[in-house]
Amino acid sequence: MRPIIAIAKATVGEAIRRRVLLIILFVATILLFVAPLLGVLSARQEKTVLTGFVLGIVQLSSAVIAITLTVYMLPNEIERRTIYTILSKPVQRFQFLMGKYLGAVSALALMMGLMACVTILEFGVMQHDWAKGIELLQGIGMFFVQMSLLASVAMCLSTFVAPLVNFFLSGGIYLIGTLGYAFFDSFNKNPNAPAFSKGLAWFVSTILPNFASYNVQNKLINPETVIQNQFAYAVNAVVYGLFYIVIMLIAGMLIFDRREV
Amino acid sequence: MAAGLALFGLQAFWGSKMVYPGWSQNYSPVQSGKDLITGGLGADQMLFALAGFREFIAGILWVRADSFFESGNYDAILPIIRLVTFLDPHEIDVYATGMWHIGYNFTDEEQRSDRRYLPSALALGEEGAKQNPNTYELYFETGWLWYHKIDDNYDKAVYWMEQADSKQDILLQPARRNLLSRLYERNGEIDKALNHWYTVYDIAQAAYDEDKDRRNYQLRQNRDTIENNLDTLLIRMSQRGYFAEKENRSLEGYDVNPPFDVGFSVKVTVTDERVIRVQGNWNVLSIGSRIRCVLRDANFPNVIPGGDNWDKGATVNFDPDRQSTYMQEQLFVRNQRFDKTIDMSRDPTMYPFFGDNYVLEFYYNPRSAPEHIQDKFGWNGEGMTDKENPTNMRTDIRPGMKCLYLSLPISKDQILLRGKYRGTTPVIRSAGYHDTEKDYTHTATGEADIPILRGQ
Repeated sequence: MRPIIAIAKATVGEAIRRRVLLIILFVATILLFVAPLLGVLSARQEKTVLTGFVLGIVQLSSAVIAITLTVYMLPNEIERRTIYTILSKPVQRFQFLMGKYLGAVSALALMMGLMACVTILEFGVMQHDWAKGIELLQGIGMFFVQMSLLASVAMCLSTFVAPLVNFFLSGGIYLIGTLGYAFFDSFNKNPNAPAFSKGLAWFVSTILPNFASYNVQNKLINPETVIQNQFAYAVNAVVYGLFYIVIMLIAGMLIFDRREV
Repeated sequence: MAAGLALFGLQAFWGSKMVYPGWSQNYSPVQSGKDLITGGLGADQMLFALAGFREFIAGILWVRADSFFESGNYDAILPIIRLVTFLDPHEIDVYATGMWHIGYNFTDEEQRSDRRYLPSALALGEEGAKQNPNTYELYFETGWLWYHKIDDNYDKAVYWMEQADSKQDILLQPARRNLLSRLYERNGEIDKALNHWYTVYDIAQAAYDEDKDRRNYQLRQNRDTIENNLDTLLIRMSQRGYFAEKENRSLEGYDVNPPFDVGFSVKVTVTDERVIRVQGNWNVLSIGSRIRCVLRDANFPNVIPGGDNWDKGATVNFDPDRQSTYMQEQLFVRNQRFDKTIDMSRDPTMYPFFGDNYVLEFYYNPRSAPEHIQDKFGWNGEGMTDKENPTNMRTDIRPGMKCLYLSLPISKDQILLRGKYRGTTPVIRSAGYHDTEKDYTHTATGEADIPILRGQ
């Protein structure tokens, strides 16, 4: 366990020094501050649009950070040959991969935590609604699980795919994974949907990770919405995410173990 | 490997059985099969919408719709309304504005609205109410459409207003509750109307009493309005013989007795291709008296005499059946006559005349009549009669009431002056129609001959 923690710590240090991640974080923070000005674009309450927009910024920027953070992790180590120094120590390959993943998730937690703080401050100071800001942590928390899942996918892919390809592949999987349930649901609720399309949508939504499971903004954006078994749903979604993360890490370990570096 | 596969199977099971049902019920943007959020969005908008900016994109689209309103490009607004309500189904104002727009703004050259859009407007209201069940607003708007635009089928209006009335937030707009009493009256449920007036009066009085400083003028105004309406209703119930009828007493001497002879007859002349002139007699006092005239396909779907069921399911379809024709006009009565030329030649998409056979309908619903006419006719038409053409008075058209209804067939060849009607002037008359030399349509030159309704 000690090597894993050591690698994770080093990964976090490395992540917070990377300029590209800091720039993404900076842009996201600026957008969060600008968000209240966009309330005029709605026929509804400004706070509704603000909440939706803020959660959207956190989600989108976290996704970019998660992918950017993980796609270069292994290839950089291999390219710079620093991996030899690490693997020559009594460190197993799976420990290296686990450490990298945990480091990435910790860095992600730090950055998302910063965005969460900005969000709370924004609602508290600018909107005089601290409770709303704190309430949004539910949504940001679910986004964190979503991004951890995305990071695991990108990490798994990085064991055998070039970084640039991985960037677009992970982005594509994220997009399809976000749409998967919506497509499946659309076919499911339409009695006239062709069986083939329905089956295909089911297959895709079963195989690929369903990132949409963590988009639980309904209640946060529209407080009047009645959600059934919110807590039970959150637990089920987190368990689902953990299953998938473990699968991705096992697959990544198996591939990385057989790979020549 | 085996463990990985087992885990993969487990995630598939967990996802489909434990996560998806909850997501579909609580978080899915799809309400029915055709409502996939991506339809009609540009690639950039779709990306943003998927990234969680649904409310934001909806806001931008609605701003865009505003510019279309400004330029009168009404057709362009329909897809935006649909898209905005998909993206953000809690945009109550968009639902309400959309219903109004669809129901009222698609008109012909003479400002007659295209009633083929009404089912879509109603379906949009129904969907909006379903999406926002905790507020009275869309129930009220849907009820209003039934009451004001359709002005018939009052049972439907009552249903929606009762739903609106049951929501907590309607108490923030107390005057809106008053409409339900009016609707009960229109629906022939007089006791319910009275009870509801008493209920809202008690609430209004309590609110007024709570305002110790008497600074809120609206509270007082609302209470006084309700009190006035309550008194008026009680007087009407008495004068129209409502209490006497309940006690099985004779209606002799009450306002509705003896019944007033409306003396309805009509002549329709096809003066040009797709242009008809409707002339007729109607003895009733002029002010506020309008006869409904409908020209529609003989096989227009879901039709009821003198109107339509309009409520054609919850599917919002902004593209009405372009092959059917439905024209509805109000014939304004002046000095016992009506004379209206209806030109349908300039709007072929609204009046396509695809079918071979059509029906001309004339309909007068006493429940839609203004109060001063209803004072003679009663709530249910008991004070109406037509001595010369008693078959025009029908009790089988709408449940529990007597109304005027006359249906005359007319063919496509007659309307379009084709076939054997080429070069002719087709005329369709009801039984007992009589022409008059008097020009009642111009009061400056014509002889004013306004009868009173009370008695004969």
